[in-house]
Amino acid sequence: MRSWMKMLKELTLRPKVHQVRKSPAYSFDEDLAKPVSGQKAKEILSKSSDIVFREFYLQGKESIPCLMAGVDGLVDKNLLDQFVLKPLMVDLPGRRELAQLTLSNVVDSTIQYLLPGLEIKKISKLSDAINAILSGDAVIFFGESKEAIVIGARGWANAGINEPVAESVIKGPHEGFTETLRINTSLLRRKIKHPSLRLISLKLGELTNTDIVVTYVDKVASPDIVSEVLKRLSTIKMDGVLESGYIEEMIEDFPYSPFPQIAYTERPDVLAGKLLEGKVGIMVDGTPIVLVVPAILTQFLNVNEDYYQRAMTAVLFRFVRYIGAFIAVTAPSVYIAVTTFHQEIIPTDLLMSISAGREGVPFPALLEALLMTIVLEILQEAGLRLPRPIGQTIGIVGALIIGDAAVKASLVSPLMVIVIGITAVSSYAIPYYDLSLAVRLTRFPLMILAGSLGFFGVAVGFYAGLIHLLSLRSFGVPYMSPIAPMRIRSLLQDTFVRAPWWAMKRRPQLLEIENPQSGGKGKE
Amino acid sequence: MGTTFLPVASIVSSAGGRDGWMIVLPAFILGIPYGLMVLSLLSQFPNKNLLQVSEIVFGKGIGKLIGVLYILITGYFGGLLLGQVGDIYERSIMPLTPISLFYLGTIILVFYLCKSGIEVFARFSEVIFPLIILALILNLTLSISRIEPGVLLPILSEGVMPLFWGGLKVAPFVMEYILFMAGILAFLPTDMKEIGQLRREVWRAVFLVGILDMFVAFTQILVFGPFETTRIVYGLLVLGKMVEVSRTVAGVESLFLGVWLGALVIKISAFLFTVVWGLETVMNLKGLKWEIAVCAVFMGIAFGFVRGSVLISEISFVDNYLILPFTTIWILGLWGTARWKKGKNIRGN
Amino acid sequence: METRRHQKVNRIAALILIVCLLFLPGCWGKREVEELAPLIGVGFDLGKKPGTFLITMQLAKPKQGGGESAAKIEDRTFSVEVASAREATEMVYKISSRIPFMGSLKVIVIGEGAAKAGFTDIIDFAQRFSEFRRTMYLVLTKGKAQTLLNIKLRDGELPAMSIKNHMEQGNNLSTFPTVRLGHYLTIIGSQSTAPILPVVETIKSGEDGIEYNNAKEGKELHIQGSGVLRGDHLVDYLTDKETKGYMWLENNVQNCLINTMDDKDKVSFGGQVLKSKTRYKLFDNNGVIGLQYQIQASISVDEVMGVKQQLSEPEWVDLMNQAETSYAKVIQEECEMSIKKERDLSLDFLGIGRLIDERDPSYWKTIKDQWEEKIADFPLNLNVQVSVHHSGMSSSSSTTND
Repeated sequence: MRSWMKMLKELTLRPKVHQVRKSPAYSFDEDLAKPVSGQKAKEILSKSSDIVFREFYLQGKESIPCLMAGVDGLVDKNLLDQFVLKPLMVDLPGRRELAQLTLSNVVDSTIQYLLPGLEIKKISKLSDAINAILSGDAVIFFGESKEAIVIGARGWANAGINEPVAESVIKGPHEGFTETLRINTSLLRRKIKHPSLRLISLKLGELTNTDIVVTYVDKVASPDIVSEVLKRLSTIKMDGVLESGYIEEMIEDFPYSPFPQIAYTERPDVLAGKLLEGKVGIMVDGTPIVLVVPAILTQFLNVNEDYYQRAMTAVLFRFVRYIGAFIAVTAPSVYIAVTTFHQEIIPTDLLMSISAGREGVPFPALLEALLMTIVLEILQEAGLRLPRPIGQTIGIVGALIIGDAAVKASLVSPLMVIVIGITAVSSYAIPYYDLSLAVRLTRFPLMILAGSLGFFGVAVGFYAGLIHLLSLRSFGVPYMSPIAPMRIRSLLQDTFVRAPWWAMKRRPQLLEIENPQSGGKGKE
Repeated sequence: MGTTFLPVASIVSSAGGRDGWMIVLPAFILGIPYGLMVLSLLSQFPNKNLLQVSEIVFGKGIGKLIGVLYILITGYFGGLLLGQVGDIYERSIMPLTPISLFYLGTIILVFYLCKSGIEVFARFSEVIFPLIILALILNLTLSISRIEPGVLLPILSEGVMPLFWGGLKVAPFVMEYILFMAGILAFLPTDMKEIGQLRREVWRAVFLVGILDMFVAFTQILVFGPFETTRIVYGLLVLGKMVEVSRTVAGVESLFLGVWLGALVIKISAFLFTVVWGLETVMNLKGLKWEIAVCAVFMGIAFGFVRGSVLISEISFVDNYLILPFTTIWILGLWGTARWKKGKNIRGN
Repeated sequence: METRRHQKVNRIAALILIVCLLFLPGCWGKREVEELAPLIGVGFDLGKKPGTFLITMQLAKPKQGGGESAAKIEDRTFSVEVASAREATEMVYKISSRIPFMGSLKVIVIGEGAAKAGFTDIIDFAQRFSEFRRTMYLVLTKGKAQTLLNIKLRDGELPAMSIKNHMEQGNNLSTFPTVRLGHYLTIIGSQSTAPILPVVETIKSGEDGIEYNNAKEGKELHIQGSGVLRGDHLVDYLTDKETKGYMWLENNVQNCLINTMDDKDKVSFGGQVLKSKTRYKLFDNNGVIGLQYQIQASISVDEVMGVKQQLSEPEWVDLMNQAETSYAKVIQEECEMSIKKERDLSLDFLGIGRLIDERDPSYWKTIKDQWEEKIADFPLNLNVQVSVHHSGMSSSSSTTND
């Protein structure tokens, strides 16, 4: 009881100090306060593949080994080559000061005599160096020297970064991933500037040699899941990987389930948000689609914009989305069940008008609904592939022919058109295309069940689907969590409702990760 | 847990008249000591179900005998419950649909659920349970406008004795739950902290179901009056028929029935589990074909009771004269003997 | 190894499920909605042959309205003389091209003859068959239910539909009890109380002081008064006033209109009951146990008549107090008429027996068996309290009468 009260309090009262989602402690935290050291920096950063290190000798002097570090994709390589590496490495003859370079004066002398750039700073703490590197600057370490130089060399690609069409937002950043892996990693780096963000490079595809990057936040992501992802990726043997969809099918747990078990995104902010929740991202060169694992069902109905809006409006929109998904699945089957089996539910007046509307319609309700749903699917599919100017025609044709003319010709009843319309609109409320496809797929068996067994059939279909969903696991995480296994805190914090940020004290735990290897099968 | 709310009001009001609703909760609380006994056996014999424990405590022969009884009772009852699905649907909303389809649909669900494992089963109940509560609350609140004033008064005009007999009629519901617990025991965690948690769960489950059942009986007596409540076979369904939302949506019992179906699926699956475990421990019969065989037996029993009225009297017969005495004697005896033996061992050492 | 096998089994299970449920379907118990003829009202009369009933079924046949308008409802009313309700449906099946659909039944009309002879047997179908709702309305009619259901209403509505709509807004007027099947059965179950049913009648222009334009063909229905039953046998009718008294005593009044026009010469009032509550108390007067009714009502004054001059403020307050007493008097009269009827009939339609049982079960047990004889002299007390909340938009009379 007391724990309940505590939780309630936590979720409803705003604390004075907002410590939300504490970052975990890392082994290098202590080192960061220490003076700079090239060796340490390399140790901390070298676990990610996008960080480049360049070792060289200053002015050819072997007594002064240097190490330059920067993030590939964030630093301006041209600038570093021309105006940093060249003057530092090539011996400039005739300068007296340079002849006397030692480790003790090297930093000042370099700044004074060698580096032509404007934005140059001397630092002495390791944390500053790491921050500078991760923010896109280059840092030069000099042997054992207690100081280092930061060179303002930020220069990243801005061209070609557009808002993703499939995931547009109103409030939130309008940038999306591109087809170039390096740009994508740099976009991610700019969101999470911490050494714990790991990027691990792989190559897949015997002929395409596609670059893959597995990314996660160390100690936030479960090591089991990370190693499982790497393991599953390493088992892929195929000649070409052209899109992340290839990988998705190869690594998902239940290939015969219509439900998506791997989320995807085209947005760096979404990916960063997911990584901070402890998920693992898989980036594939050549596509802006980044896979995110593990996935749970409710996640497909939540969008990142929920976190940018105020909590109360976000709750409303989530609610709308869940209702939409529910209607999209059930509306046609409920219509069928009600009109062919359970007429007593319908209010008498409505019964009369349905009955009158269906008069002269040659098909039974089931067939009518199936036909209309198929027509709807065709319309959707046709509109999707057409060039945009022609696409509008589809809308008009659909509205006129299917909506109006068909009713007038007594091919379908007016109520059926309404039901199909509501279904279509509701299914657009599902933010993830993959899930909306799954919903469209599950609609058909439910309709047939409803047509043959009424609400009993609908209930059986619904429960069968539920059992299926409950037995799914995505990389060891139960697909229906946190609904079942129920975790009250996660439910109240970030599932059907979104708690205000100050109430999200703890990171959503990826629940009950058991045997990610087993391919989703729980203990028996 | 389960579907006790369908018949509960009819049973208690036939025994206790208009005061019948009062006995539901006490009768459920009767289950708590049994639950705690089972848990204490769990801490004594970790990772063993009660059939294995009985073999250890009573010896092989009696243990096997109990096991066979256990299988027979749970198997028979599971089949009867399957029959009840058909009965409920045929009786109330789909009279023209062949009853075999209800059996078939349900048994497929049950089989699929059991095949997916105990963990999925647990999660399934976790999802369905709030649904059941929601449906019950909706059903009860929406029938408030149909309440007949004053039917509950006077309280206790007939004395307490009928209540006691009514309590005996309700007690088997809780015993069904204990029977399932006896089987699931092998899968429960065993360290002390978790057992404390489980103890709380037992309390919570019993109280929750008890209170809900009480409200169901209470509302039905309120709406129908004690006389009618006794007469109506599945009062809750009739209550569902009477629900009217602002004079437009009426008779949504077919929606509620979907939820009750979920409850029945849970219950039948629980009995399927117990039978399968029983077969496994007692006769070492294991694997898919035996599960299918049990499902077939369930179907057979259900087809044997196509006549609804016979089915209902058979269910109450099994409840009152098989499940109640069997569970009471078995668990009590087992717990007592185990304690006694343990005490003797300690003294012996 | 084990897990893989399990997965396989799982997949097989899922496959069986899908195959079974997708490809087995037939058309079990399926009825397309346009094949149905929704049953709106049923009437019960006595048949000519003994032991038979004349059952009138009013079915609606929805038709597509002209153009875009809503559905038009065609009337199809059949009367059949049968021994059981099921037989009646069979007969109707034979006639009608559509399946009679019982789920929409809203009104059961019981003709006088059937009501006097008892109708439990025939009504059993309505509470047993699963499609029916216990929320449907029961009404009585003087004369035959068949004629009532067969009349043509002036607005073209089906009589049963009209009765249903009328019953649904019954609470607004509280002049007749709305009795649903479930309520009727519960009352019967209580054994001591006699059920009461509202009476529906047709009226022609000129009857009961109501006139209407006769240019349009047809009649009108009205619900007024009620019938008292002993079990399922009609015993007597209550007049409008007696019914109103019953409503007051049963705590059934929500909003009803009330006027004191009977007082000649004096100032009279008309108004609407805003809220009312009836409480019951047993009193013990030297060993004689009786029941006290306490009726509390809040009534507005919407109409004042007979005021001859402009009133000052204190006078107006006096007048309002006078309104309270006149209102109370009207209510008291209605209630007394109703009680008198109960005593005359020796039939406890007011449910006094239950009220005693609720409050003093042990005393009830002693008088239970000879209750019907006791009703006649069972002491009853009435206490009516009326408070006038407001007098509308004006606080004086409109006439100055100079």
